[in-house]
Amino acid sequence: MLKFAIRNLLSRSLRSFLCLMGLTIAIAGMVGLFSIAGGLEKTVSQTFGKITGIVAMQPGAPIPLFSRIPRSWGAEIGRIPGVSIVNAEIWSRVNIIEGKPVISPPRFLFGTELPTRLQLKNGIYREAIYAGRFLSLEDQGTLNTVISKQIAEQHKKQLGDSIEVNGQEMNIVGIYETGSILLDVAIILDIEVVRDITRFDPESVSCFYLEQSGDVENDELVKSIKEHFKGRELASWQPTSLALANASQSNLLKALINSIDQSLKGSPSSNSEAKNKTQVKNKSQTEVSAIKDPSQQIEKEVSALEVRSASDWGDRLETFTADLDIFLGLMTGIGVLIAILSIINTMLMSVIERIVDFGILKANGWSNRDVMLLITAESSLLGLAGGILGGQLGLVAIYIVNWKFANQVHLYASPGLLLFGVVFSTTLGIVGGLYPAWWTTRMTPIDAIRRG
Amino acid sequence: MIEVRNVEKIHQTGETEVHALQGVSCHFPGQTFSFILGPSGSGKSTLLYLMGALDNPSTGEIFVQNRSLSTLNRKERDTYRREKVGFVFQNFNLLKNLNALENVLAPYLPIGVSADQKKRAEELLKQVGLGKRITHRPSQLSGGEQQRVAIARALLKRPLLILADEPTGELDTQTGAEIFECLRDVSEQYKTTVVIVTHDERYIRDTDFILRLRDGRIAEENV
Repeated sequence: MLKFAIRNLLSRSLRSFLCLMGLTIAIAGMVGLFSIAGGLEKTVSQTFGKITGIVAMQPGAPIPLFSRIPRSWGAEIGRIPGVSIVNAEIWSRVNIIEGKPVISPPRFLFGTELPTRLQLKNGIYREAIYAGRFLSLEDQGTLNTVISKQIAEQHKKQLGDSIEVNGQEMNIVGIYETGSILLDVAIILDIEVVRDITRFDPESVSCFYLEQSGDVENDELVKSIKEHFKGRELASWQPTSLALANASQSNLLKALINSIDQSLKGSPSSNSEAKNKTQVKNKSQTEVSAIKDPSQQIEKEVSALEVRSASDWGDRLETFTADLDIFLGLMTGIGVLIAILSIINTMLMSVIERIVDFGILKANGWSNRDVMLLITAESSLLGLAGGILGGQLGLVAIYIVNWKFANQVHLYASPGLLLFGVVFSTTLGIVGGLYPAWWTTRMTPIDAIRRG
Repeated sequence: MIEVRNVEKIHQTGETEVHALQGVSCHFPGQTFSFILGPSGSGKSTLLYLMGALDNPSTGEIFVQNRSLSTLNRKERDTYRREKVGFVFQNFNLLKNLNALENVLAPYLPIGVSADQKKRAEELLKQVGLGKRITHRPSQLSGGEQQRVAIARALLKRPLLILADEPTGELDTQTGAEIFECLRDVSEQYKTTVVIVTHDERYIRDTDFILRLRDGRIAEENV
C-alpha cells in the first residue's frame, strides 16, 4: 500500500513537488519563528545558570541599567543574616567605541567594587577569563579593563591593547567569554572609574549583587531583604525619567509610554515628577506623608528594593516567551493555513483525476476505508517529507542567522521543536487528505468507473 | 448459480429518470459461458454490474449461490467482490502506476500480498502469455496484453464468477479471438462461471447461454 502511495505521488511529480515545497517552507518558517523563543529560553537558561547570587535593585526597573538605589543600602544589606558578600555595581550604556557609535549589539560599562567582587565565590566574569587576567585591587582607580571576546573581536583588539570607550583610553588587561550574548556585552572597570566617566550620582549605585552564606535558601534571603526594606520610600523606576522628563503631561507619547510601563509593572504609577528622582525619606517623614495621602499607605506596604534571584529572572522570561509563543503561533498559522489548502488542493485534484482508478480498486474488493487509507497515506507522506525537509531548511536558516549575526541573536531549534515540526506536518498531511479521501467514498464503484 | 428476480434499475439524471432495467428475471447456470447481448442502452452492462455488486438494483433481487446480494452489508460486498467475482472491462482498467504483476495483485494490496499469491500471479501471467512482461507497466503493453493482465487479475482470486464487459471492444479481431480463447481455457480449467456482455456474436458457441435484452427487458433467453 505504501509503495503504491509513493508511486502515485511520483507519477504526479511536479504537483507533488510543489505541494511539498509549500509544506516545507511553512514548516521551515515555523521552526525558524519558534527558534526565536527557543534561542531566548536557551540564552536565558545559559545566562542565569551561571548566576548563583541575588540582585537587589530599584523596584520596577527592568534591568540594572535603569536602576538607581542608595549606595548606603549596601552596608545595611550586608548586615542581614544570610548575606555573605554585597558587591555594588554601576551599569551604563556605551555610546562610542573607537570613535564609532554603538547601536547594536549594545555594549555596557560595568563598574564593580573590586574588593568585594574578588571575594565572590562565583564570579561570572572572573571565571570566564579567556586571555589575560581579571581585575585586581591594584586596578582600583585605573583605566585597566576586562572586555568580552566579542567586543575584542569586533574592534580587533588584543590583550595589552588600548581601547577608546566614550572618549576614554582604557588598557585591556583581560578578555572574557561566558558564551552568553546577554553577558558578553560588558567592559568591566573599577566602580569609581565608571562613576567618574558616566557622572553617576555619587550617592547611588545601579544594584547590589549578593551572595548568600550557604545555610540560607535564596528564596528565604530574598524575603528577608524585602522585609527589611519594607516601609522605605524609593521611587519606582519610570521610563519617562529617561526620555521625557521635560515633556508635558498631555504629551501623547509620554502617556503611551506610561501605560506600557504600568502594564509591565502591573501597578499604577504615580504622576508625581518627584518620584522620578532617587529619594529616600526617613520613616517619620513617610508616616507623615502617609497620613496626608492615602495612596502612600499602599506604597508603605511595599519593599523599597526589588530583589531577584536567577530563578525569578527565569520565571519572568518564561512568561514572556510563553506570550511570544502565542504571537509566533499566530504568525505560523498563516503559513500553515496556506500549506493545508495546498495539500487539499493537490490531493483533491489528484483524486478527481484518479476517480476511475478508485472505481477499479473498489470493483476488486477495496473498501471505502482502503481507498481513504491510500489517499491519506499519500497526503501524510507529503506531510512527513515536508516536515523533515522543512525542519532541515529551518535548521540551515538558523545556522546562517546565528553565524551572520553571532553577536546580536541566538536562535535555537531544539530536537523537540524539530520533532514537533515533523509530527505537525504529518498531521497536516493527514488532515489535508481527509476531505479528498471522503469525497471518493460518495460514489459507487460503477459511478466512478463510468466517469472514465 | 445466478438468479435474477424481477430486477429494476432506475438511473436518476437530474430530474430525469432512466429505466435501465425493467423487471428482468433470469437464471445463469453455473460453470458455463454466458452472453448478454443487445443494442446500446439495452441495460446489458447495468445487469452485469448489478450481478457483481458494483451497484444496487432499485427493486428486485439477485441471488448468487442462493444468497441475495441485497442482504450483504458493505463489508460483505467488498469481500464478495474481492474473493468471488473477477471483472474484465472493455478498456482494461489497469492501474497505470503498477506493473503487470502488481496489477494482478491489486485486490490484495490492502490486506497484504502473500508469497503464495505472488507466485500464483506470476504463474497466471505466464499462463496468459505474459511471462516475460510481468514487470511492464500498462503503457508498455498492447491492448491485448493489457486485457490478458485483467484476466489474470480476475483469475487470481479463483472466482466463482467472471464478469466481462465488452472484453474485446477495443481489440482487433485476431486479438479478440485470442482473448476469448484465453477466457474459455481458464473457465474450463478453473470451473468458473463466465458472463460476458458483448455486441460481437462471432465468439458464441452453441453450448453457451444467451440472454438478449432490449430497452431494459428480456427479448430472448435460451441455452
